Amino acid sequence: MNNDLFNILANNSNIDTQKLIDYLNDKLSYKERNEVERWITDNEIANDAVEGLQQLKNKKNLQAYVDQLNKNLQNQLQQKKQRNQKRRIKEYPWIYFTIIAILVLCIIAYLVIRNTLH
Amino acid sequence: MKFFYFSFVNPNLIKHISDQQLLDNFYADHNNKWLGILLERYTLLLFGVCMKYLKNEEEAKDAVQQIFFKVIVELEKYKVTYFKSWIYMIAKNHCLMQLRKKQESTSIDLSDKIIAADGFEEENIYLQNEQLTESIYEALQELSKEQKQCITLFYLEKRSYHEIADRTGFTLMQVKSYIQNGKRNLKLMLEKKMNQ
Repeated sequence: MNNDLFNILANNSNIDTQKLIDYLNDKLSYKERNEVERWITDNEIANDAVEGLQQLKNKKNLQAYVDQLNKNLQNQLQQKKQRNQKRRIKEYPWIYFTIIAILVLCIIAYLVIRNTLH
Repeated sequence: MKFFYFSFVNPNLIKHISDQQLLDNFYADHNNKWLGILLERYTLLLFGVCMKYLKNEEEAKDAVQQIFFKVIVELEKYKVTYFKSWIYMIAKNHCLMQLRKKQESTSIDLSDKIIAADGFEEENIYLQNEQLTESIYEALQELSKEQKQCITLFYLEKRSYHEIADRTGFTLMQVKSYIQNGKRNLKLMLEKKMNQ
């Protein structure tokens, strides 16, 4: 009983995407539903989200929506990585200039030494 | 291939990593892998929030992508501490902006003290002592009959919303509301008692 009373104040652990989809598709046992609903009660974002998701006409497509959005997210992150790499080249052009200059000097030095020896 | 550079990460291995830990990892090495894992946890929630406000599947999907973009940009600039509250605020504000753009009037209350509320939540107060048990029990008795009934069935008997609605005759919305308001009142009463 004591522990149950403390449960009212305790913050419930996170519920993963699959469990939430199962909840929305009515695939969970009563005990699992209670677990998800306790999490919803504690989280404003989850509360709003479930309200919104319950408005969907076809909840069977949820996993496909999530997969598509995650794929787009990965595209966005990849683009960001490429942008960062380009910016790095733009921000530090002198590094690349120095490397090229050193290589050219090495080649010239090699040619000069070779000609001198011959 | 290039888009799935972190898809090899075993979900079971990263499940236990907290949002804060993922953020700290990102701030430490700026590897997008951490951001990907963190944001994927919120995809469905963001979609749901956008659906709630925009009430259109396609608009909600677009909004989620725009929110992701904003989050990716903002996280580079600022150090965020309460990620869940922060991303919720970003999503909500984005949807409200969209609605404003469409020049639709809305009565959504913006004054939610999200950060403050979640700050309390994050503290994870779990003081297990006799006095607190007694205080919770006393506070529970002081709730309205409906709130007490719903809180007891929900937390002590672990019933689902549906079961409670069937047993009490309340609607699902009423059950949800009695539980949320009851819990909030309970916290307020306990805070008051502790400060005395």
